[in-house]
This record gives sequence, structure tokens and C-alpha cells, in this order.
Amino acid sequence: MNLIEVYVYEVTKRLPIKTRDDIALELKSTIEDMLPENYAEVDVKDALSKLGDPAVLAASYRDTPMYLIGPNLYDIYILTMKRVIPWAILITISIHTFESIVSFEGKEAILSAAINSFGIIIGNVINVLIQVFFWFTIVFAVFERVGLSNSDLQHKKKCDTWTPEDLKNVKIIPKKKAISKGDVIFGFIWIAIWAIAYFYADHLVGIYRSIDGNVLQFVMPFFNQDTLLSYWPIIVIFIVLEVGLIVYKWTAAKWTMKLVTMNAIIRLSSAITFIVIASNPQLLNQEIIPYMADVFETTSSAVAYSLEWIWKIIAASFIVSIIIEIFQSYRKARIR
Amino acid sequence: MGSLLDTFTTELRRGTLTLAVLSQLRTPQYGYSLVQQLENAGVIIEQSTLYPLLRRLEKQELVSSSWDTNESRPRKFYVLSDYGIEVYKQLMDEWKKMTLELKSLLQGDENIESD
Repeated sequence: MNLIEVYVYEVTKRLPIKTRDDIALELKSTIEDMLPENYAEVDVKDALSKLGDPAVLAASYRDTPMYLIGPNLYDIYILTMKRVIPWAILITISIHTFESIVSFEGKEAILSAAINSFGIIIGNVINVLIQVFFWFTIVFAVFERVGLSNSDLQHKKKCDTWTPEDLKNVKIIPKKKAISKGDVIFGFIWIAIWAIAYFYADHLVGIYRSIDGNVLQFVMPFFNQDTLLSYWPIIVIFIVLEVGLIVYKWTAAKWTMKLVTMNAIIRLSSAITFIVIASNPQLLNQEIIPYMADVFETTSSAVAYSLEWIWKIIAASFIVSIIIEIFQSYRKARIR
Repeated sequence: MGSLLDTFTTELRRGTLTLAVLSQLRTPQYGYSLVQQLENAGVIIEQSTLYPLLRRLEKQELVSSSWDTNESRPRKFYVLSDYGIEVYKQLMDEWKKMTLELKSLLQGDENIESD
């Protein structure tokens, strides 16, 4: 067995095909250069051990990086992941929550359906995370190899070299003035919950009763869905406004007077709309009153009277909470 | 301590490697002749580092290569290109400047020790 041939083969099989022949020829003649005349196998072994592990030698011939994502892209890669992953989770949860509500037919109790959906959602979130991780890593690995050469990146760095002047653009946001990401995400979920509750009130908002032991059953809706849905264009406008407000809060990241004003206008008009809709006498499902009178063993007029009071309390606390929120945001915006 | 010193020494050497190789390529050399020349000058270089380095320099257009098939076995000869000569001279100036700077630094250090 010719050790030199085997060694050369061991190196070149790890190299790109078009460079193989040239490197093989050079390597072979180099090894032969290292040997004395009339050499024995010991001399060959000696020469080869000087060249070292063929895998290592082949690796130093290769130009392509020996890593998936190198130091030039690593920062951007991690930053992208941090930005994308929370949104991927949030969107997955929203979509599947929406989906399970749409596909809900009322045959199953809402709580057990919710628990089932919860399991499915967790599975889906894990699935989406794996997908996101996989595809972003692939894209960055490709960029590492073809998209951005080192010189491109260095050139880019030169264009926006950091100077102390850049510090003037940095705004230090006092903690008390800041709008946290948690607030933004909570706001987003809050809108989603309200929107879903509005459009699917006939399946969601109503009387639940435990029949035959422990399974909760949806008995009847609180509201006339037709009356409720007759307001849909206004609701859609409010959803758009609220989402816009949240995006604005997210980018502004702190309370400003402009933001406080916008927030107050949207909140107050949504409160007015809420009261207008809630005051519609057609809104309440008329079957509710006799049903509840039956359950609580009282008269229909007593039920109607307590419902009136419940509605007044809800409306009042709604208004109060909005006023508190406006007042707090105003105080935060005033902090210098 | 020993392995740490080794790491630093290797780093120091690696920085000077390109300069050492470029300096010997003013005349055409093939792989093994280059190894011997460097070794004679006391510069020890892993062969598994040198051959890939030559290819890289060729790709960066600092050296050009040609196969000589007249001898008993074919040999690939490398020699500095015009661009390579230019880079070599600049790198040499850098090296001289750097050694002067370090020299003055290290001398200062010796004075402190001798005080």
C-alpha cells in the first residue's frame, strides 16, 4: 500500500473537486521532496507525521468558514432572534386562539375546549419556534458564505463609524416615564380578547351552567348577536385605532403629551361608544331575564332591576378606570 | 503558565508568518525549498500551515504560481507578483516601525527593573 497516495487521497477527498487535482499533485511532489533518496517506509511515516492529520491539513486549505455563523453576523443574528421570537410566539398564540374560537361549535363545554386548545397552542408554539430558529439560522448561514463578504461588512462599518456625536441621538428614558414592552404586549392581547369576545359573543359571553356534575355547558348568550354586530364598522375602526396606538407606544417607548392626548381621545370615545352600545334596549337577550328569575327563584322585574344596577356599576368602573389611566399617563408624561 | 506562554508565542509567530513567507518569495520557490529556507533562518513553520498559506496568497494575488515539469518531478513554483512586492514593502516598513516602538517600550521596562 502506498502511504503517500493514501495520505494525499485523505486530504483531497475533503476539498472542493476543482482544487483537488492541483493540490494532490503539489502535495505529492512536496512529500517526495521531504524524503531522502532510496527512502524506506519509516522515512515516509516520518514525513507524513510532519504534515500531520490529513483532516486538519484539508481544513486549513478550505476558504469557507468552519462555523455556521461567524463573529461578523453573530450580533445581528442574536438581535434578529430576540426581535422575532416574541412576535412569533404572540402571533402563533393569537392565531390559534382565534382559530379554536372560530371552530368552536358549542357542543363541548367552553372550559374543557379551552384546556384542549391550550395544549394544542403550546405544541404549536414549540413547532413555530423550531421553524423560526431553523430558517433564520439557515438564512444567516447562507449570508455568512455568499451574501456578505467580509469586505462588504467592513465597508459598511466604515460608513457608520461610531463618533461621540452619536450620543446626542440617544434618548435616555427615565424608568418612570417608560412604556414597557410588557404594557405593549398586554395591550395587544387585551384588544385581541375584546375583539374575539365581541365577534363571538353568541358563543362566548353568556350563561354557563354545570349540568350533570362537572362539565360546564354554555346555556345561552347574554346579548342579541344581531344587535351587537350591527355596530361592527365602529368596532373595527376602534380596533384599528387601538392597534395603531399600541404600535405608536411601542416606537415612542415613553409617555409624551402628544401620546397622552391621543390615548385620552381614543379611550374616551371608546367609552362613549361602549355606553351607547350598552344602552341599546335591544342588546340584552330577552330570554335571559326569565331564565335567571327561574334560577334564582325570584321575579323577572327583580332580575331586570339587578341587571340595571350591574350595568351601571360596570359602566361606572369602566369610566373610572379610563380616567385613572389618562391621569396616570399625564403624570408620567410630565416627568422630566 | 507554560501552555499560556505557548499560546502567546504562537500568536506572535502567526502575525509574522506572512511577512516571513513573502520575504522569501522574491525569488521563485516551491513548497519544500521554502520550508528549508525558513528553517535555515530559524523560522519554524508548520508545513500544514505553509502550503495552504501559499494558496491563499495566490488567491489574494500577492504571489503567482507556475508548474515546472522539467525536473524529475513536477513542482509548483511561487513568486511575488508586482502587487505582492508592493504589499511586502509596506508590510516590511510596518514591521520595522513596530519593532522600534516595541524596542523603546521594552528598554524602558529594563531601566525600571535595573533601578
